[in-house]
Parts: sequence; structure tokens; C-alpha cells
Amino acid sequence: MQSEIRKKLLDAFSNNEDQYLSGQTLADTIGCSRTAIWKHIEELRKDGFELEAIRNKGYRIVKTPERVSADEIRLGLKTKYLGQSIHYEDAVDSTQRVAHRLAYDQSMEGTVVVAEEQTLGRGRMERKWYSPKYTGIWMSIILRPKIPLPKAPQLTLIAAVAVVQAIEELTELTPQIKWPNDILINGKKMTGILTELQAEADQINSVIIGMGINVNQKLEDFPIELREIATSLAIEQGVYFSRSAIIRSVLTHLEKLYFIYIEKGFFPIKILWESYAISIGKTIKARTLSNVIEGKALGITDDGVLRIEDHSGEIHYIYSADIELSE
Amino acid sequence: MLKVQEIRELIKLVDQSNIDEFVYESEGSKIKMKKNAVETITVSQPQQVAIPAVQPQQVAEPVAVQVVQSAPTQPVQEVVKEDTSNLHKITSPMVGTFYQSPSPDADVYVKPGSKVTKDSVVCIVEAMKLFNEIEAEVNGEIVEILVKDGQLVEYGQPLFLVKPE
Repeated sequence: MQSEIRKKLLDAFSNNEDQYLSGQTLADTIGCSRTAIWKHIEELRKDGFELEAIRNKGYRIVKTPERVSADEIRLGLKTKYLGQSIHYEDAVDSTQRVAHRLAYDQSMEGTVVVAEEQTLGRGRMERKWYSPKYTGIWMSIILRPKIPLPKAPQLTLIAAVAVVQAIEELTELTPQIKWPNDILINGKKMTGILTELQAEADQINSVIIGMGINVNQKLEDFPIELREIATSLAIEQGVYFSRSAIIRSVLTHLEKLYFIYIEKGFFPIKILWESYAISIGKTIKARTLSNVIEGKALGITDDGVLRIEDHSGEIHYIYSADIELSE
Repeated sequence: MLKVQEIRELIKLVDQSNIDEFVYESEGSKIKMKKNAVETITVSQPQQVAIPAVQPQQVAEPVAVQVVQSAPTQPVQEVVKEDTSNLHKITSPMVGTFYQSPSPDADVYVKPGSKVTKDSVVCIVEAMKLFNEIEAEVNGEIVEILVKDGQLVEYGQPLFLVKPE
């Protein structure tokens, strides 16, 4: 939703390309107060515009935010299925909801839903996922794998490996996976993945993989309560990244791994997953709805189930839990 | 096997004594008496007869055993007598954690007595952050929920009993 003032403000800059416009000039042209102009300039900055402000001269737009529209993603994308159909939105409640609807309407395998902003981004247990405009990758991918339904959870581990490989390819960072598929950098969460299934009894109709990848947020962009536990690629490496390039890379890696998985099963993925895992060999806590299991993470089974050995030597198989790394 | 007369005599003796528990076993027959707030007397031959369940039972292996659980609003006898063979079982299509509601704070999808249609979501089964919304698959009424919120369920394990319409 663009306000009338913002529209006029952007028009004024468009009509006077590369010129400095003073707050007073803008206020007169648009017909509002200078305070309102200042407020809207700040809003633009929050949305990823870079504005230069020079005393006695005024404002000038230096850089507009990068979008992740279908065109921008497609340029250079060399996949067979993933991203061959892209559904782009400026703002949505959640890309998962849109993807669910598309999947239900028989959209093709590999359809991607991407948005600049999610107003109701969510994670496990409907926890809120903070997804502000132009800063990260808020994306859902529709797959239609011909595999037995009980194997579907393995796809969430495959998605995690794909994101790690993409980050390794495009940055100098070393991401790690926390079971089953959180991606951390220096111990802070950089990516969350949530997957949902559409099934008819025992038959998979579609698997919808939702990802939130924190790319260009600055530390002050995160709410205070998240600053200790969340991070972005820009915070970690000190530069901004092209979100569409990361999307292309994620889709390319995911497709490759997905083909390997369909052809050869989970085993090759398991080895990759374990090579990126943060918790193997360490003491961790697995918190479920009813109890907490503490012990050493031994690894994952051939199905991707987490194995923990507690202090008495008993081995627990974990299917769902929040994992905490003990100090 | 002891005669009824003899058993009666034993009960009387035990009752008058300070003994709390009395077990008598002979030739495959077994008599067990217990003096608590609730006295139970069981006689079995040759194997011990199960005590009829009055309370809802917790069973360690939920896969194989049919648990008789009383719905809160219905008299116990009615449930016990009810024939469940005509009820539709909603089973879990995968191993994972059973959730009755989309989040701990949210309302449950269904409870006993809830009317459902084929595509009503009745619960979520989750494994490795893959969420599977389970649908009722029949039109009808939820009679019983066979598992607890947060419980790990097996592949094929019955989750709900539904009375089809």
C-alpha cells in the first residue's frame, strides 16, 4: 500500500532525476508539511532506498531497493523445474498460504512463491517469523515428489543443505545446520524452514517448503528481543547481497539435491547434512511439548531422525523438538 | 479349585485379621484378596482374569491395544458396551508428534462430539518440521481421541474414532 504522499514524493524524484530537492521544495510541490516529508523520507530509507541528504541542497535518491520479482530471479536461472514458474507479490500474509492455494489449484512442480514482505510470517507452532520488506528472502517452493508419504520429512533436511550450499557459494561465511533445518551463523539464526504437506490419505499431493532467509537486515532492523539470537548475511559479512542471486543459487542447489534424492535416496544427503551439522558430538537439549531430553547428539538415522544418548547411556530418537545447544 | 463356601470362609478370616493382602495358589488356581479402600477379589483358573477396567487406562504400547476410555459426558457402561467395529479409524500416515491444535495456545481442532466432514482438519502430525494436517476422510462425528497431545505416534496408529454418517 502506497500512501498518496509517498507516490507524489517518488514522482517528484522521478521528474527531477539526479537533482537535489530540498525539503521545502518537496513540501510545496506535494502540498504537505516539511515534517511529513521528513517522515516519508525516513520510511523510504526503511524500505531500502538510499538517499543522500546535503545541507542547503536537499535530498537525492542514490539507490532504489533491489526487488525479487520474477524477471530478476529468472535472469540467469538454469534450473529445469524449480523457479520455472514464479509467483511474485509485493506483500502477502504468508507465502505458505499463497503456495497452498496454488498447489491446490494444480500448479506445476517447482512453482515458487516469493514476496518482498510477509505480514504474518510464521514458524513452528505458529511462532511469528519477522519478515520486513526488501530485507530477506520470504519464499515457498512447491514440490510434488513421488515418494512414500512417511519419507516426506527428509525433504526438510534437503532444503537446509541447499540453503547452506548457496550461502557458501555466494558469501565468505560458514553456515551450520541445527537439527532439523535451522541455519545458523556464529550461533545465531539466519534461516528458518517450515514445510507443509498436502496429502490425500497416504498419497502426497504436494510438499510446500517455506523459507525465511535473513539477507540484508542491519542489526537495528531486528526487534530488540531478536538481536541476540538472529542474524543476517549483511550483519555477518558487512556487505549487502543480491537477494535474487541467492534465490537462484538456492533453487539450483535444491533441484540438484532433490534429483539425487529421488534417484539414490536419502543416504547421500545424510552425509552432506551431517557435514554441516553444528550439534553432532555435542551436548544438547531437546525440548518437546511434554519433556526435555539432554544428552550427546550422535547423529541422524538413515531417515533423518535425531539420535541423542542421555547420561545413562540410553539412546533417544527425536522426531520433533526445539534443540538448544548446551554451553 | 476351592468351593464357594471355602472362599467365603477365607474372606471372613482375612477380613477379621490384620492381613492386607492374601494370595492363595494351587494347581493353576489363584485367589487374590486385597483389603484397601476398594476391595477387589479375583479368582482365576487357570490364568488370571483381567479386572474389568473402570478407570481409563494408560497403556504402554498403544499400537496393539485397544484402549477403552470413557468420554467425560457419557456413562462408563455405555462406552464399554459400544461396538466400535462400525466406527471409522483415522490413522497416522507417518511417524511423528501428534498435535491437537495448531499451537499450544490455540483451540483444539476437534473434540469428542465434534461434527466433521471429509476434509475437516482433525490434527497435525509433525516430524522434522514437516507439518501434516490430517483430514477426517469421512463425514461424521468424533467419538474418541485415542492419543494425547504431544505424543509420538507410529505409522498407521489409530488417532481418532469417527462415527460415520
